[in-house]
Formats: sequence, C-alpha cells, structure tokens
Amino acid sequence: MSTQQVSTDKLRNLPESYGKIGWTLLIAGVVLTLLSFAVNSKHASFGLIMTLTFVATIGIGGLFWVGVEYVSSAVWSTALRRPFEFIAGVIPFLIILALPLLFRMKTVFEWTHLSYFKDDPSMLVKAPYLNVTFFVVRTIFVFAIWWLFYYLIVKNSRVQDTTKDQNLTTKNVRLSAGFMPVFAITLTIFSIDWLMSLTPSWFSTIFGVYVFSGAVLSSMAFGTLVIVLLNEKDRFPVKLTPDHYYNLGAFLFAFVVFWAYIGFSQFMLQWYGNLREETLYYIPRMHGSWAVVSIALALVEFLIPFFLLITKPAKMDPKRLVFVSIWLLASHALDIYWMVMPVYNPDKAVFGVSEVAFLVLSVGMIMAVFAYKAKANNMVPIGDPKLQRGLEFHL
Amino acid sequence: MRIPHIILVPNMSKLEKTQSGRKLLYGLTAIFDSPEKLVHAAETVVKEGYKDYDAYSPYPIHGLDTAMKLKRSMIGVVTLVVGLTGGTLLVLFTWWTNSIDYPLFIGGKPLFSWPSYVPLTFEMTVLFGAVSTVTALLVVWLGLPRNSHPLQDTEFMKKVSDDKFGLAIEAKDANFDERQTKYLLEKLGAVEVDPVYYEARELTLKETVLDPKFIGAIVVVAVAVSGATYFGFNKMLLMRPWSSLNEQAKVLPETKSEFYPDGFAMRPPVKGTVARGEMPYRYASNIPGAEKYMKNPILPTKRVMLVGQRDFNIYCSPCHGYFAEGDSRLQGQFPVPPSLHIDSLVTAPDGLYYEVITNGFQGVMPSYARQIPRDERWAIIWYIRALQKAQNPGEVAEAK
Amino acid sequence: MSEVSYGEVIDYTKAPPLVEGNPTLSKIDESIAKPMEKFPSRKYFMALSVTLTMLLIGAVALGYTFYYGIGMWGNNIPVGWAFDITNFVFWIGIGHAGTLISAVLFLFRQRWRTGIARFAEAMTIFAVMCAGLFPLIHLGRPWYAAFVFPLPTQHGVWINWNSPLIWDVFAVSTYFTVSLMFWYIGLIPDLATMRDRTTNKFKKMIYSVLSMGWRFSNKHWQHYEKVYVILAGLATPLVLSVHSIVSFDFAVSILPGWHTTIFPPYFVAGAIFSGFGMVMTALIIVRKVFNLEYIITADHLDKMAKVTLVVSMMVAYAYVLEPFIAWYSGDPVDWFLVLMRATGHYAFGFWVMVSCNVFIPQLLWFRKIRRNIGVLFVISLLINVGMWLERYIIIVTSLYRDFLPSSWHIYVPTLTDFGILIGSFGLFFTLVLLFARTLPVISMSEVKGVTEGAHPSHHLGAEHE
Repeated sequence: MSTQQVSTDKLRNLPESYGKIGWTLLIAGVVLTLLSFAVNSKHASFGLIMTLTFVATIGIGGLFWVGVEYVSSAVWSTALRRPFEFIAGVIPFLIILALPLLFRMKTVFEWTHLSYFKDDPSMLVKAPYLNVTFFVVRTIFVFAIWWLFYYLIVKNSRVQDTTKDQNLTTKNVRLSAGFMPVFAITLTIFSIDWLMSLTPSWFSTIFGVYVFSGAVLSSMAFGTLVIVLLNEKDRFPVKLTPDHYYNLGAFLFAFVVFWAYIGFSQFMLQWYGNLREETLYYIPRMHGSWAVVSIALALVEFLIPFFLLITKPAKMDPKRLVFVSIWLLASHALDIYWMVMPVYNPDKAVFGVSEVAFLVLSVGMIMAVFAYKAKANNMVPIGDPKLQRGLEFHL
Repeated sequence: MRIPHIILVPNMSKLEKTQSGRKLLYGLTAIFDSPEKLVHAAETVVKEGYKDYDAYSPYPIHGLDTAMKLKRSMIGVVTLVVGLTGGTLLVLFTWWTNSIDYPLFIGGKPLFSWPSYVPLTFEMTVLFGAVSTVTALLVVWLGLPRNSHPLQDTEFMKKVSDDKFGLAIEAKDANFDERQTKYLLEKLGAVEVDPVYYEARELTLKETVLDPKFIGAIVVVAVAVSGATYFGFNKMLLMRPWSSLNEQAKVLPETKSEFYPDGFAMRPPVKGTVARGEMPYRYASNIPGAEKYMKNPILPTKRVMLVGQRDFNIYCSPCHGYFAEGDSRLQGQFPVPPSLHIDSLVTAPDGLYYEVITNGFQGVMPSYARQIPRDERWAIIWYIRALQKAQNPGEVAEAK
Repeated sequence: MSEVSYGEVIDYTKAPPLVEGNPTLSKIDESIAKPMEKFPSRKYFMALSVTLTMLLIGAVALGYTFYYGIGMWGNNIPVGWAFDITNFVFWIGIGHAGTLISAVLFLFRQRWRTGIARFAEAMTIFAVMCAGLFPLIHLGRPWYAAFVFPLPTQHGVWINWNSPLIWDVFAVSTYFTVSLMFWYIGLIPDLATMRDRTTNKFKKMIYSVLSMGWRFSNKHWQHYEKVYVILAGLATPLVLSVHSIVSFDFAVSILPGWHTTIFPPYFVAGAIFSGFGMVMTALIIVRKVFNLEYIITADHLDKMAKVTLVVSMMVAYAYVLEPFIAWYSGDPVDWFLVLMRATGHYAFGFWVMVSCNVFIPQLLWFRKIRRNIGVLFVISLLINVGMWLERYIIIVTSLYRDFLPSSWHIYVPTLTDFGILIGSFGLFFTLVLLFARTLPVISMSEVKGVTEGAHPSHHLGAEHE
C-alpha cells in the first residue's frame, strides 16, 4: 500500500496574488465604509451590522467545523482542517467591527430609545435584557469566549506540527467538546442581540438555529472554495481525491437543505399562527420590492444550489464546487441583507454605497486574514496523527 | 408470473453442442478464497474479452465495479423523475380540491395556501421516489423475483452466500470454450472450477399467468376480498358495537316521544318568549280591524319581487291563478276564489292581505303561516300589488 | 512528551476495529444465524410470555375503549389530548433513532453502524406501528379511519389540507413505507444467505420467496448499493420532516407552550434522543441474550452514548431557550405557562423530565460511565422515562390551563390509559422478540464488508483506470 507524502515545499504555498487581492479589498472596504458613513450614517451603520454578521458567522462557523472534526474524530477532513482554522482567524478582529456600532447604538437599535418602551409598555419586561450596558457586556463576553477557544484550539493544533504529540489531539477533543455547548449559547446570544433585537418586538425561538445554519453553510462554502482552488492549481501540500471533494459537496448540499428547513419552519409557523407580534417580521419582507428579495433568497440559497449539487458527479466536480461555493457565499450575503435591511427601510429594498462597502469589506477582511494566517502556518497539520488515515480516505 | 429473460434464450447452436443428456451447460463457475483474487480475476476476464460473466461475493467489494468496467448505475434518474412527478401531482391535487372542486376557506388563509402544502409535497416526492426506485431496482434492473436461475441451489451459490468469492462465465459467451475457460480460471487462482447445468425444459417453460391454478387463486382472492368488504361496510358497521354511535337517546323524525304526554318531542316555546330572529305579528290574531294599521315593512327591491313571484306561483297560483284572476287550475276541487283585481280588494290595505295569508279566510282558504315565512308573505303582497297595477295602472295610481 | 498526562493514551493513527477478534466470514454467519436455527431457550419464552401478557392487557384495554368509547380514558375538556397523543409522539420518536442509525450514519460513512443498523431499523418499523395505533384509537371509531385520506365522497368535500393532522397521516405513512422498504432491501442478501444455509424445507421456501432469488451478483450489487444510497438520502430528510410535522401538530396552533418556532428541530432532536435511549436499552439486552458482544462492541455503545449526549444537549438548548423567549416576548400568557410547568400541578413530572433528559445524561461526559454497561443501561431507561414525560408535559400542561380560568381542569389518567400504554410496549417487545427469532438481527453482508481484509486495497483498482 502506497502512503501519500506531504509535499513540504507546498506547505506555505498560497499564491501571492491572493493576499494582494485581500489586502486591496480590505483597504478599499475601509475607505468605502468611511465614505458610506459620510453619505448616510444611519444606512452605513446598518451596513456595518451586515459586515459584522457576515464576518462573524463565517469565522465562528470555521471554528465550529474545526471543533466538529475533533469531536467526531473524523479522519477524512484532517488534511482540510487548516483552512478552517485560518477562516476562524477573523474572530479576534470582530470587536473592531463591533466597536463603531457600540458607540452608535441609538441609530440602529430602536429599543435604546425610551420612546420605544413608552409606546408599548408591555415591552418593558425586556428592559433588563435589552439595555445598553448589558448589551455591551454580552457582546464583549461573546467575542472574548470565541477568541479564547479559538486561541486554545488553534495553538494546540499548531504546536502539534512540530511536537507530533498525540496528547494534543486528546486535549483538543476535550476543548472542542466543551466548545460545542458554549458555541450554541454564544451564537444564539449574538444572533438575538445583533439581529433579532433590530426588530425588538419580534421573537422567534428558532432564530439562533437559523443563524447557525447560515454560519456553517457559508464557512463550509469558503473552505471548499479555497481548498478546491488550491488543489486544482496543484498548490495544496497533499493530493486530494474526488472522495474528499464528494464529502465537501455533500456537506454543502446537506446544509443548503438544512438552511431551507430551518428557514421554512420559522416562516411557516409564524405565517400559520398569524399573530401580530410575530408577523411584524414577515410583513415588510413579503411586500413591495422586499418580496422580490425574499423569493430570490429562497431560489438563490436553496433551490438553485440544491439542483446544482444533487447528483454524485456534481459533488465531485471541482468546477461545480467552486461555482457553488461562490454562489453560496453570495447568497449568505443576501440572507444577511434580507435579515438586516428591511429594518432600515421597510418600504423598499435599498442598495447604495453601504451595501457595496459591506461586500467589499467583508470579503477583503476574510481574505486578508486568511492570507496572513496561511503565511504564518502550514496549510496541512503535518503533525496530526490522523493525517495519514485522512489521506487514505475513500468512500 | 414469470418474466421472460433474454438470458434464457441464448445462442442455441452453441448450447446444443455442449448438451449432455437432457441438461444444458449454463457455464463455468470458479471459487476464489480472497477478494483480491476475485478482483484480479475479473480484470483478467474482461481483458480476455468475455462479456457474459459475473462476479459473485457475499458483500459488495470495492473496486470490483471498476475492475469489471461497469457503467455507472443510472437508477437515480428514476428517483428524481418519479419523485418530482409525485410532488407536482400533490400540488396540483391540493390546488384542484381546495381551490376548484370544493373551495374551502380555512383559518382565513387563501384558498391556495402554499406554505401548508410544502410538507405534503415533500412527503409525496419522497414516497413516489422511494417506491419507484425500489420497484425499478427489483423488477427492472435485477429481474427479480426469480428463483429459477441456473445458479440457484448450486454448491457455488451456497459458497458465495457464505464466505467465498465466485466468478461465473456463461456458455453463451462468444469466447467461451469449456477447456480453455477452465484453464484460464484455474490459472487465476480459483480453488474450484465447476460446470453448472440446467434442465432443458426450463427453456420452454410457458407463461404461468394462464395457469388454471393461478387464475383459480385470483378468483378466490377476489371473491373473498369483495365479500369481506361488502360484509364489512354494509353489515358489520351496522352491528354493535360499531353502530353504537347511532344508538342514542334521542327522538328521530317521524317518531313518537315516550317522554311527553302529548307525544311531541319538540316543545312549544315558553309563553311570552320570542325566538331569536323571529318578529311576532304585531297584533295578536283576530283583533278585528288591526289590519288597517299594518304597513308593508320591506321595500320592493328586485330581489323581493322575485321572491314574491316565486312564492306566489308556488302557494297562491293553484287557486288564484298566475295573474290573480281567480282562475283556479284545480278543476273545481276547491272553492274558486274571487279575482284579486276587484275594486274592494285593490283598495284593501296590505294588512288585510297579510292577515288572510297568515290566518286563512273564513274556513275557505287555510293559513299559510307554517309554509311561508313572515318576510316572504310581505314579498308576496308586493307581488300581488304589482299584478294589480299591471291590470289597472291608472286606478292603482289613484288609490295611492 | 506533553506535561499533561491523561492516564490513557489513544492512538489516533489507527482506526479502531469494527468487529472484535477478527472472526472469519462464516463465523459471522453462524453467530448471527444462531438464534434462528436453534430452538429458543427458556429465557426467550419467559421474555415472550411477559411481553405477550403486556400485549393482552393492552388488548383488553382497547376492547373496553372500543366498546364503551373513549370516555373510558381520563381525557376531558380542555385536556382533549393526553396519553394517546403522548404515546403517539413517543413511539414515533423511538422510530427515528433507527432511521438515523441506518440512513444518516450511513451517509456519514460511519461504518460502526453496521452492527446495529438492522436492529435499529426493525425497531423503527415496530415503533411506527405502535405509534400509528394511537391516532387510530383516538378516533374512537377506528373503522372510519379511511376518511383521513383524500377519497372522493358523496359530500363532495375534500380533506382539510391545511391541517397538520393530515400532514401527519401522509408523513407517517410515507415514513412507514420507506422504512419498510429500506429494511427489506437490506434484508434481501441476508435472506438469501439464510436460504442457502437452512436445511429445513419449509423455512427454505419462505426464505426463497422473501429473498426473491438474490444471487450475490456484482452486477446486482452495483445497482443495489446505489439504491441503498438513494434510499438513505431520501430517508434522512424524511426523518427530519416526520418529526417536524409531528411538531407542527402543536406548533401551528396558537396555544402557549405549543406555538414556538423551535419546535421542529427540537422535536427531531428529542426523537433521536429517545430513540437512542430505546435502542441502547434493547441492544444491551440483545447482545447479552444472544452472545453478540464481539459484533455489538463496547465501542458501539460508547459511540451511541456520545450521540445521546449530543442530542441531550440539543434538547437542553430548547429547554433553556423556550422559557427565555417566553419571557423575552413580553407575552404574559407565555410566561404564565412556563411558571405553570415548573411549579404547577405537573411540576413533579416536569422536574423528573428535566433531570432525566438533561442532568443525568451529563454523566456520559465520562468515558468510564460510557464503558460501564450497567450504568449505561440505567441511563438509557431513565432517558426513555424522561422523554415520555416530555411529551406528556408538553401536551397536558399546555391544555389543562385553558385561556379562561373557568375552563381549567386537571387531567388524571385512568387504568384504561395505562393499559393501552402497557399494551403498546407489549406489542413492541413482542415484535422485537419475534424478529430476533425469525430474521437476522444484524446485517451479515454489511458486517462481512467491514471485517479486516474485506476489501482489496483501493489502489489496486485505481491502477487500471
């Protein structure tokens, strides 16, 4: 049986151009964001919330996949773990995106105004949760917890490259197991705070799961994109088989369906219940140009990728995977746009410099951080004891 | 039912050569003791140009499909096509039943409330997809059920169903030669190589569908099922305890109440009460002269006139005639009423008509209070007025 | 060397063996076929008599129900749903673990599932049969059940497509059909093996008919495997949809405690949770009784315990989120219901449920406990209790405090209620015991496929591409 060797010369083989594009986009994004604040600061604040959500969901989704790999003791994905660690590298920078918003909460969050509670005194019960101090504390707590787990897990993984110590895997399995419930709670807090409380009277218990489905889907899409591109250009340190591709494609497919399932459940139950406090979320999204966005979202994030990935050869086809990954990242941006922007303008879908800034800054930030991490670390966890088994993986 | 198999109608000339007695040679079977050897053997056999052969193993072996150069299984197409058809059919069916055939508003939702149908559409897609795939696999792709295959019940089959790996090359293959093929299989590391025969009569077996026994069985089943169904729905459900829902302590129509001395199950309303929606006659009956003070309370709209016409033609016209001229159609079986166009009746107040319809007239005309609701009586009066006006336009105008 | 010592060093470079002791292929056949081939022991008949007694109790209770009507139950207004629907949801949930193990783990290429998949699938089918009974008997007059299907009638009116109960009919019958086919497709090769093993003429006839003349041909295996993947792919979203639709029965209403959007995934997680509890309970017994410890290894149970822990956490997530959102919504009625559950008439049941479903499974964090079969058995039983109670609490507590305090009513189950519940357990375990005697409880062909050396190294095939 031939064992596959890791090509050590390719361990830090990310194309230079990738980093350059990332940095350019990041700088352009920052400039555009500043510009958007100059044009319309309220609109720009909502745009920044979208950026924060996009970057945070992809980042924490990446860390989730790393954790899942350890907890489930999966082997096929061991060689692919590093890109997800790099994606999670944006976690420490989330606070930078959040800071300007924490100072401008009154422009986006209706509940920061006393008049909100005056208009509807029954909402006063929320005041102990929805108040500025607690909000800031929670945000910092959530980002700190994510950063802590990111730091611990990734450090162990990196140290293992040189020590090849199997105990580090055991250590990370335990850390990841502990991370899972923490992840569920913190992501829910994040989604309730930053997205659900934009419509403060509205509530939905499934909302955290909805954001989760988008997070894991988009981070998987980004990971797949990078891995397939590198492997196809022969820059990945190990040779991946179509079976690896199949698994990536299958995960994308599964989470496309999962996202649709969660999204539909939330919509159907609130539509069926037809209660004023629940439908107020869907009514603006079902009228005027927002209705077009809603229908487009169902098509773009579910129906089209569903049929693009349904067959086995499609899941193994690198071209198809690259296309669908980009498609899904775009649809995740659309999903966030659909969640956030109807609050800014319930009457019609808006598109301005803030939206452009959102797209450019998000992509730039993720790419730049990825390039930075890929320069400093090996693209494959060469010290991982499961690596060899992972390379021999076949369906 | 036996499905005819191409496999059983082989190249006859070749078969007859290898015939020994009444038995025909099916082919050569080889047993291997490891999966590696089987994969290797399959590869070699393909290279040697054999087509009618197959590998046999107690479990599917990785790499054997590539070794045998099998084409990708396309059975998934069945799932997709039939599944989507099932889902589409459900959508069409829900739309037709709830929006077209018997429109039904439920919970203030639109007639075609698609979010409600999504779960069902999904279920039907899966049901159609799964059932069609399994049926297609068994019947079309694998040609099952088939217990008469020459390999059934051979030592070879017993071994591959347990722990050995087998390869069988059929005699109908163009390259088949009993000695050479045997040599090839032995060279490939076969532990045993054995010929397999089958009886010639299997080639000429007739279709069993027309077998009297089979038809008899079908008839018996049909009679039993229809009999049971008839008994179940027409007899059993009318017996106890199935009928217990019908056996309730209540008085059915046309039966006598045992409870009340007067034999009526329905009680008259309490004195002085008025049922909801009912307006009593303003004056208790038989107060002479009351009719002078009664006015027609409803307006002569088109609808009212149509109702009046309908009721007049039903209740009044048999005696009074369609135009209230007193021309009874009853051939003198009842007293013939006067025309309603005589002066005293044209000028009579509405209240008089109402009084007469409600209470009857001097024992000649019966009361219609039970048949005609209050408002419809007034509608009839409007209609009578219209008839009168049509006969004597000027006089009616003057009377007003 | 790391400075931290973990007592036990796990070697990640090697995959743990899926079948212990590396038995030969025919040894696998032999031990799996053993319960079918030899005359059952006295233990078996004792077990069967117990389950048949339970079944008889259920039959008597059902007879009472049908003769006198469902007034024999404790149901009242407003508690119109009680034991019946609780049992329905409970049994449907039990079924879900089977599909999860057989289909979802199959798609995830978790080869450890082979030892337990067949048994879990059989449990699915039996559990769905038990579940299907309850809506039927809740009709009071089950012989009119055909009206739940869209049949043309004299009235001209069709069924109400907007009703989640109709969705249930479609979902559960689809689920049953697909599970049955999935199970049967998996059984065909094993039935063929039994056909070739058995010497009894009568048995041989039955196995021949059931195996349809399967002959282990690779040209067949190829399509067979494809169909297996397709069915697994269909069964996976199906299993999610079935319990989601069961949850819609509650969630589309606007009753506090029922109308909450997390219900679909929460019910699915709960279903898998209870199902794993039941599968563990049954497997621990089966491997002991039929000496299958080397196929259903401690590793299997360990892995199942881990899955159980994960789904327990998902259930806990819903337990936390529901009260939180009830409070956050600012709806006093929702919040009142949360208090009613935790402190009202059924508070004891509520806390037993929380303990069994959330607190006790936390023990599964420890490897020692996951490896201790006795403790695992007790935990799995407690999970069954907890998950039954969960459905009971959800249904009864939301109903017994109606919107108007004048309509409030306590629900007390009657003996008939308990009789039917016991009967459903009797039916389930009778079927399980009969299954263990008549069909291979473990998939022979799949277990053979995961023994060491079962497959040639895959590079061999690739050379010739």
